[in-house]
Amino acid sequence: MNQMKKTAITLNVNNEIHEVMVYPNRTLLEVLRDDLHLTGTKESCGEGVCGSCTVLINGTPVRSCLTLAVAAQSKEITTIEGLSVGEKLHPVQEAFVNHHAIQCGFCTPGVILTAYALLKENPNPTEVEIRHAISGNICRCTGYAKMVEAIKSLAEEGR
Amino acid sequence: MEKFSYIGKDMKRIDTTHKATGEALFAADLTLPRMLVGKILRSPHAHARIVAIDTAKAEKLPGVKAIVTANDTCGDKWGVFKYTQDQQFLPTEKVRYVGEEVAGVAAVDEDTALEALSLINVTYEVLPAVFTIEEALAPGAPQLHDVYPNNINIHVHIDVGDVEKGFAKSHLVREDTFTAPEDSYFQGEPYAVAAQFDHAGNLEIWMPNAGPHLKAKPLSNVLKIPLNKVRVRKITIGGAFGGRSEISPADVICAFLAKKAQRPVKIVYTREENTVCTRQAHSMIAKIKTGVDREGKVVARDITCHMDGGAYSSTGPIATSVPFLCMEQAYRMENVRYNGYRVLTNKPIRGMFRTHGRAFACGVDIQLDMFGEALGIDPLTMRLRNARQIGDTTPTKSYVASCGLTETIEKTGKKSQWKEKFGKLPPFHGIGIGCNSVQTGFPMGIRGGSQAFIKLNEDGGVTVITGIVDNGQGNDHMIVQIVAEELGLTPDDVQLITADTEVTPSDPGSYSMCETFIGGNAVRLAAQDVKKKLFRIAATEFGVGEEELSAKNHKIFVTKDPQQSMSIAKVVRMALTRNESISGEGSYWPQVDWKREWVKNPYGQLSETFSFGTVICEVKVDPETGQVEVLEVTASQDVGYALNPKVIEGQFEGGVAMGGQGGMLTEYLQWYEGRVLTPTQLGYLVPLAIDMPKINDIIVETIDPKGPYGAKEAGMSVAMSAAQAYCGAISNAVGVYFHEYPITPDKILKAIEEKKKKNRKG
Repeated sequence: MNQMKKTAITLNVNNEIHEVMVYPNRTLLEVLRDDLHLTGTKESCGEGVCGSCTVLINGTPVRSCLTLAVAAQSKEITTIEGLSVGEKLHPVQEAFVNHHAIQCGFCTPGVILTAYALLKENPNPTEVEIRHAISGNICRCTGYAKMVEAIKSLAEEGR
Repeated sequence: MEKFSYIGKDMKRIDTTHKATGEALFAADLTLPRMLVGKILRSPHAHARIVAIDTAKAEKLPGVKAIVTANDTCGDKWGVFKYTQDQQFLPTEKVRYVGEEVAGVAAVDEDTALEALSLINVTYEVLPAVFTIEEALAPGAPQLHDVYPNNINIHVHIDVGDVEKGFAKSHLVREDTFTAPEDSYFQGEPYAVAAQFDHAGNLEIWMPNAGPHLKAKPLSNVLKIPLNKVRVRKITIGGAFGGRSEISPADVICAFLAKKAQRPVKIVYTREENTVCTRQAHSMIAKIKTGVDREGKVVARDITCHMDGGAYSSTGPIATSVPFLCMEQAYRMENVRYNGYRVLTNKPIRGMFRTHGRAFACGVDIQLDMFGEALGIDPLTMRLRNARQIGDTTPTKSYVASCGLTETIEKTGKKSQWKEKFGKLPPFHGIGIGCNSVQTGFPMGIRGGSQAFIKLNEDGGVTVITGIVDNGQGNDHMIVQIVAEELGLTPDDVQLITADTEVTPSDPGSYSMCETFIGGNAVRLAAQDVKKKLFRIAATEFGVGEEELSAKNHKIFVTKDPQQSMSIAKVVRMALTRNESISGEGSYWPQVDWKREWVKNPYGQLSETFSFGTVICEVKVDPETGQVEVLEVTASQDVGYALNPKVIEGQFEGGVAMGGQGGMLTEYLQWYEGRVLTPTQLGYLVPLAIDMPKINDIIVETIDPKGPYGAKEAGMSVAMSAAQAYCGAISNAVGVYFHEYPITPDKILKAIEEKKKKNRKG
């Protein structure tokens, strides 16, 4: 049993304020999934290699499996659930669907958030820049070709 | 009017929006009221006798709700075949690999469950172990099981024609040995299982699975409950790649924990558990002797292959056969002998894998390059001269009903500018070619066929009920496409209930590359059954024959006079008031030789049809570092007919990544005395976006006579031929034929060094 004491923390996730009691060793990934039921954030390796647990903190992609929940306070956290507005998908989500960039879908939330952050920072990335940006996200199904196409289509639309 | 509305079109998959929003639920995402956390205690020893298991302390820990050990099971042994029943879900006497399940705990939270595991005291008597094929086969070696003398689990023996005569007749004969260590699935989603029992004794269970019915039967056996109480539910699956077809001890442990606690239990594997305690791909030593005539045509082949199967049989008889079968399908050979041995070692269990037998496939293929060099024939021509043709019968007696191998070789050669490049590239540049063929299903006993039902709603929409599984490749969309096409509906009108053993009828599962062919045919027949019933009603209204009607855009109309039409919804309502059944039923049973058996009788029609493919790969090798840069890959396959071309391209591209880029350059498990040293993505290098070359996809269509709309397998062939093409390209770049895979930089540097020495001497 956990001998530590729980502390109350406040998390701003997808522009909603959540107050949760957590052990100080709880990762952001665990709190998002287990306490806030935001299961779109996935755990695949648990050691920061695969990128499946990617969320945005103040717009920057981070590994939520390597981030302590207590360290994510007073920051803006965006998970995959925060990207679409009502029934409307975000253009990055739309592009992934339209370009067949999704197969099993397990790595998808992480890659979409990474692509979203890339396009915010660099609206017109080259193919190499796209490949570099998503190389922290491991996909076992697609061989990445259609993901790159999807992101490229948004870059071209931005031109 | 266009022939099809949806078939053959690039369509957005119906399942991907949920995946893009995070809404899709995978097994680990499930939460049920009062759910407990399950954890598994695993063997720290590669081979040990279990003397005693003491759970008293763990049981007293507050928060622990259930513990299961072998005492709770009946000690039943499970196996895919009657003659391979050798694995207990919780062993009673011995553990046979590091990571084998010993006990399970369900507790209120993860910390408590882990603490309880540490309080279970298992007394082991450690036994000597074997970790390699050679050790396992050595005289006096420790034996894993009583029933497999000399640790030989399976021996597949195939002998066709007269091999000795063939060698005597050959112009050139050579023998080479090819090896490769274990590779691993690395599905994105780690394995997870959730289970709950109700007080009527019904089990509900969710897990990523390639076939829910394949899971339900062993659960029914071991829990001693009838099949109608085992409800394996549909859940989004994060990849399979040949794995996840068999029952997992975790499924059984989770079910027992849920039963004992009478609360839902969820077990989520760590990445390490997914790598070590599910399945791995076999390591392999393939000795291949081949004879060719002056034209480079293969006259005789004699292959002896040893595969390290790990501790238990798993799908052993299939796994021992498929590497050979793929190559006997791809290339003509009249006189051939195969001795495949699956050897047991104290290592994790091996199963079927998408790039099944890279040492075997690359070995057979690269020998064609070696012969070609000796005969002055380029590798592409060597493939053309040996390529399987339509109407052929394979050595083990499968008729080939459709085959576009030659077309894939020619088109891939043209696109990749083979003629302009082969032999003309600068130093340390190379180009290579690989061809392969894959089954579209095989004899699978009572689970060999598929059945489907279709229910209609009063507004003309339908629900399709089928056991077809979608592992991530897009099978759910395939079902929708077929039904919408046949009934003149839109994809929105089609709902699915799939892969749920309470509701859906029997289906082989997404395994052996058969879902489109077998499941797709069943769904199509069910839709045609509905159409026939609707047409019967409409025909009386219009006063025409049923055969004069068509269905499109939600309407049934007279084909020659489309003005005479009626909405499908209206026909459904008419049927309801007339008390006429319009539900549809379809079943498909493939025409294979059911007497064919992997070991006892490996002859006869194996699969109703086969896919064929070619990959060409161009590389640049850095002679200073041994690093391979892949410049371009062209992948092609005869898929029969592309139901959704973009989905097929995705299969090709994923196949190149897994079979070629990963399988030939970086992927292998490293070991220390039966322990996996590289169980996570940190040590086991799966390709990244930046690693992947440009890929050209070429879809070749031969319209298979029996496939739905002519379609056949599309997911596996490219993965295998990509491995072969990478091997050929690197060998071509370095000027040395590689026999050990994957071809890592150390091997390349060593080869360059040895070549230099040889040249100096020469």
